Amino acid sequence: MADTSSHRYRVGIDVGGTFTDFVLSEWPTGRLAYHKEPSVPADPSRAVTDGMRTLLARETCPPSAIDLIVHGTTLALNTTIQRRGAPVALVASRGNRDVLEIARCRMPNSYDFRAGKEEPLVPRAHVFELSARIAANGDVLETPGEEEIEELAGAIRTAGVEALAVMFVNAPSNPAFEQSIADQLAELLPKVAVSSSTTVWPEIREYERAVATTLNASINPLMSDYLNLLQRRLADDGIAAPIYITASNGGTLSLATAQQRPIETMLSGPAAGVAAATRVARDMSDNGAGQIDGVLSFDMGGTSSDIALSLGGEPSYTNRTHVGDFPLMMPVVGISAIGAGGGSIVWMDAQGVLKVGPQSAGADPGPVCYGRGGTEPTVTDCYVCLGVLDPDEFLGGAQKLDRDAAIAALTEVGARLGFDGDDAAARGAEAALSIASANMASEMLKALAQNGVDPGQLALMPFGGAGPTHAMLLAEEVGIATLIIPPAAGTFCALGALIADVKRDFVRSLRRAIGADDDAAVWDAFTQLETEALDWVASEGDILSRDRLQHGADMRYAGQGFDLAVDLPMQAVADRDTAALVELFHREHEKHYGFRDLDSTVEITTLRVRAIGEVPPIELPTIAGGSKQPKAAGSRPVWHQGSWSDVPIYRRDQLAAADVIDGPAIIEQSDTTVWILRGWTVSADSRGNLLARNAQQAAKTEPAA
Amino acid sequence: MMTLDPVLLEILNNKVTAVTEEMGHALQRTGRTLYVKETADFGTALSDLDGHFFAYPRAIGVSGFIDLDCGATIRAVEDIEQGDVLITNHPYISEGLATHAPDAHLLKPYFHDGELICFGWTFVHLSDMGGRVPSSISPTNSETYQEGFFIPPMKLLRRGEWNEDLLTLLRGNVRTPQENIGDLKAMLAALNVGERRVAGIIERHGIDAFKACRTDLIAYSAAKARDTLRQIPDGRYHFVDYMDDDLVSPYPVRLEVALTATDGEITLDFTGTDPQVEAAFNIPTLGKRHAWLTVRLIAFIMTMDPTTPMNSGMFSPITVKVPRGTILNPEPPAAVGVRHATAVRVNDLINGVLGQALPDVMPAASGGAMVPIVFAQDDHRTGETRVAVVQPMVGGTGARLGSDGVDGRDSSISNLANNPIETVEHSVEVRIRDYGVRPDSGGPGQWRGGVGVRLVFEVLAESGRVLGRGMERFRFRPWGTEGGRHGAPMQVILNEGTDRERELGRIDVLPVQAGDVLTVLMPGGGGYGDPLTRDVEAVLRDIEAGFVSIASAAAEYGVVLTPDGAVNHDATAGQRDALKTRREDNGAGADVGAARHAWESALPDNLVPDLNAALLNAPQAARQRRRRDFYAGVLPDLNGGEDAWNRSLDDPDSVRDRARSALQALLER
Repeated sequence: MADTSSHRYRVGIDVGGTFTDFVLSEWPTGRLAYHKEPSVPADPSRAVTDGMRTLLARETCPPSAIDLIVHGTTLALNTTIQRRGAPVALVASRGNRDVLEIARCRMPNSYDFRAGKEEPLVPRAHVFELSARIAANGDVLETPGEEEIEELAGAIRTAGVEALAVMFVNAPSNPAFEQSIADQLAELLPKVAVSSSTTVWPEIREYERAVATTLNASINPLMSDYLNLLQRRLADDGIAAPIYITASNGGTLSLATAQQRPIETMLSGPAAGVAAATRVARDMSDNGAGQIDGVLSFDMGGTSSDIALSLGGEPSYTNRTHVGDFPLMMPVVGISAIGAGGGSIVWMDAQGVLKVGPQSAGADPGPVCYGRGGTEPTVTDCYVCLGVLDPDEFLGGAQKLDRDAAIAALTEVGARLGFDGDDAAARGAEAALSIASANMASEMLKALAQNGVDPGQLALMPFGGAGPTHAMLLAEEVGIATLIIPPAAGTFCALGALIADVKRDFVRSLRRAIGADDDAAVWDAFTQLETEALDWVASEGDILSRDRLQHGADMRYAGQGFDLAVDLPMQAVADRDTAALVELFHREHEKHYGFRDLDSTVEITTLRVRAIGEVPPIELPTIAGGSKQPKAAGSRPVWHQGSWSDVPIYRRDQLAAADVIDGPAIIEQSDTTVWILRGWTVSADSRGNLLARNAQQAAKTEPAA
Repeated sequence: MMTLDPVLLEILNNKVTAVTEEMGHALQRTGRTLYVKETADFGTALSDLDGHFFAYPRAIGVSGFIDLDCGATIRAVEDIEQGDVLITNHPYISEGLATHAPDAHLLKPYFHDGELICFGWTFVHLSDMGGRVPSSISPTNSETYQEGFFIPPMKLLRRGEWNEDLLTLLRGNVRTPQENIGDLKAMLAALNVGERRVAGIIERHGIDAFKACRTDLIAYSAAKARDTLRQIPDGRYHFVDYMDDDLVSPYPVRLEVALTATDGEITLDFTGTDPQVEAAFNIPTLGKRHAWLTVRLIAFIMTMDPTTPMNSGMFSPITVKVPRGTILNPEPPAAVGVRHATAVRVNDLINGVLGQALPDVMPAASGGAMVPIVFAQDDHRTGETRVAVVQPMVGGTGARLGSDGVDGRDSSISNLANNPIETVEHSVEVRIRDYGVRPDSGGPGQWRGGVGVRLVFEVLAESGRVLGRGMERFRFRPWGTEGGRHGAPMQVILNEGTDRERELGRIDVLPVQAGDVLTVLMPGGGGYGDPLTRDVEAVLRDIEAGFVSIASAAAEYGVVLTPDGAVNHDATAGQRDALKTRREDNGAGADVGAARHAWESALPDNLVPDLNAALLNAPQAARQRRRRDFYAGVLPDLNGGEDAWNRSLDDPDSVRDRARSALQALLER
């Protein structure tokens, strides 16, 4: 065995509902090793440390050789959705006590009069008013006296909360005032963690800012405890490597930042998956696979599926999203849920119309074939019934599936659809999958429509446990001719954690005309943001090799009611070139609406700076060259389009670079199964990615040469 | 009934619905104005060849327009060809497709191999379509001719080419031609997306399947809706509700409905409803089943079975009878601009009549008013006017068996977002001093009505005007049911708590100047069930949260607290007994409030319908005058004020006698 004593390691970890995934990267060989450990929802750090031990032992990796751990966690998300956060109180300006009660005044469901509204994060009894009011221009209109502040502190003590959020109307125009009151309260309340809204996210929109501040405050104690515990347990095992946490913007944050700003980790795991998809596609483009303009990542798990778009080598971001009941006003990777997952239930309504979802059997009891008491057939049962999944090889054989039970459940579905005979279950299963695909395709097309993107030009990149199984059904339904299936689809988010840079977004609301006379204020504000951003990134750790900033601005024509987000190139910012800013806005407006309005003043409303600390990249492994005609490991009958056919089975880990497989075929790997349909040709590249093309579909979407 | 197999039906159901939602996203992304981008006051759908929607979005745009009928518009245009786009905003000639001037409706015929297969539909509330006032909507308009520039159904595009004559005419008649044309272009983008996606569906599933799905989806929805409507026990149910007045006279506007249910077939007969008004509150239904009459039924059907396909089929089991000449079926040229204010009350009416049949299911009345408070600021330097919505105001929703109403929100007619205070104070010179819920406004009950919203703002600008379209429920309270009490009425107060304080009642346009402080208090939803049976812990929680005051807890709920804020159980039991003995009713019926009680004592159910029938027999031009003359004769002292109201109705017997003889005189004319 080669001498490995000089090898160094990084570990990417992603905590999911069912499994905690690990990817270990070895330097200088570039070798990757994978591990899946059952999650422990009650104590997530347990699965992390147990998994680490197993992985390190298996790979004979000494704890001291680990340089970096990057960790995706659903703690913030689950805390928010399950309302498990620490009790928080909110202090608001007088007259604004109901900022959380009224929210944006909309009902979550306008049809269902039983639906009600969301429960506010802070009960009304714990929202306190203070004579603290700022005008839109930042002038202080009302300052509370010492007595009022002391009285308030007393009331908060009685309320028995752990954390306190302070949010005053118009604070983005005068953050210092808000902070000074927060400081006074903090002094009076030494046992309460006090935070002011403008330190969390200083953007105009008091409801969204109040939500960000209170959410951050309520998650903060849990995140701090969790990360401290994790750090201590890893240290006990001799692992002293710095820990970074993946963030909603596809970047990572140091442990200290993640503890202070847990709200930035809301989409921790999924965003890392999108970062990985972006990187894989960029590498493939660079390696001569042809220009891949856009990638649609498709993460299909047990209960739902997520998609996200990357264009031109960058994930698409959005500045507004929703998490559970709450709006999230900060830049995040644009991820849309498109419904069905492997656990989605197949059922029939009173009119005999077949439906898939939205109810899910989840992981427990799970699909009928899991044999854990599930009685309603699911999408996964359909795969098993059709021969797509080998009941003995699920998760590399770790879990045996009961195919007969799946068939029995689906025979009933088939019978109600009027099918009889031996193939009733298969026909029922195929019908259910076609409905699931149509539903997902519909949701996907809507999400793309919101971005103004046509699916024909995109490559679909499936991952997650069920992604590669369902991807071709979905691609055919949507009209996508290219698929990229990365090597370890089941641990892709953990890989994403390993290759992400440190990233944090900074914002400043500022409403003023530009390009007229004095624009110094705009550039002064940018300078302040830049300083803040660079100071922060400088303190994020020694591992970072290089810093850079990206700039953006939200702008509008004066009198217009909405903004356009404009990316600002480095040069224009470096030159403090206001005319270039104005021109960029005109151009963006022209792109969206077909005209520029040269008579109107251009207003800038929001400045954005993203700080990026580059992590020295890992080398991704390569695989050996192959024969072009790989040998099948076996075959089995698979049902598709109304009949059984004997389909060759390949092992993913036996495929070599340049191997080509024509559908129909099945490729099995320990964490997922790739179902290749008739009409598709799959080739492996030197990184182990599979590139799948459907010539017939491609001819439809690509203009004739 | 259905020809498609149940798998393909479900697939096409999802796909055609998604087409309409994709159209909506395309429209919202490219739209030019706030109406499109933020308020989402637009719609998209696919219509069959008769003009009925077989696909409608679940989650984008206006939710209540499923029951619009494009038939008259399609039939009005000859020689429909590929590439054409039809347009109309004419309420009467489109037979109720458009319902006020700003709503421009577009239809694009979709063809397959030269055959017309369906229409793409979209509407947008355009910023301004001309007329007497900016934005084209004023309650004091009496004829459509004051309300703007109306386009009868015609071609906006002919075979893909713009109808330049029409555009020229449009530009010459509206205040915001650029914005309008920008939004029209976004609508075309949406229609083109729909056309492409429909072609894609036909390519994948075949033209026969597509044709079949147009009728099958409607039949499928009808079957589901019918199953839901069968929950209404066979029988005849009756309900009456009122609008305070029509703004141009002090007399209440009566809305009446009788619902007959027979094995899931529903008839709604609006006979007894008041004649059309000389203000812009008329709903142009042309006497047909119409979206503004059936919107509450969408909520009922979708609440009971959320899997019901959203298309016109859900209304198949429903027929309506709306007498011509009433406010719900006005004759041209009755003004229609603020028809949604009436629609809010129609919503209460249908909710109420369903509640007669299904008291365990339906809630009490919701606040019953939706009012965008608009501030128009005079800019003395430039001479221009800056306009902003200070806040869209809503009441709370009504309580129902097992659940309190929703506080400070109401999506029963529209589900508009509010505006951040920080945005408002940046765009016009006002200071929002208070924007929150209004304690004690929810109707007491075993289940409490939702509280309304309260807004207090100060004018900082030198001068300006406040507009508040749709103000209602000042007089007639949101009713409680099954022993629940009514919600608090709407109130508008200028300079509250100063020596310049003035209770304004309904405002149309209110001139204001720097230093003026306006308070707008929205009505709360009605309560459900006897408040004396409400769980004392729930009352305590309401007190702690500030939704109910300590005084009101004692007076309405009979819950008495100890000095340290806990429930005093002995005192509570005593108080509840005392209240029970003292009250005049049995604590089980509906509570409509004293004002309505007084009105109906004087002008009962067996008189007003006869009056309305007599008025509808009179020539259109004379109706309103005769109605005014009738009420002026019967109630000579009535004006908008509370005192005059009470005085006028103080002696119901003599009012009734006067009314009977006035009616007799009218009948003998």
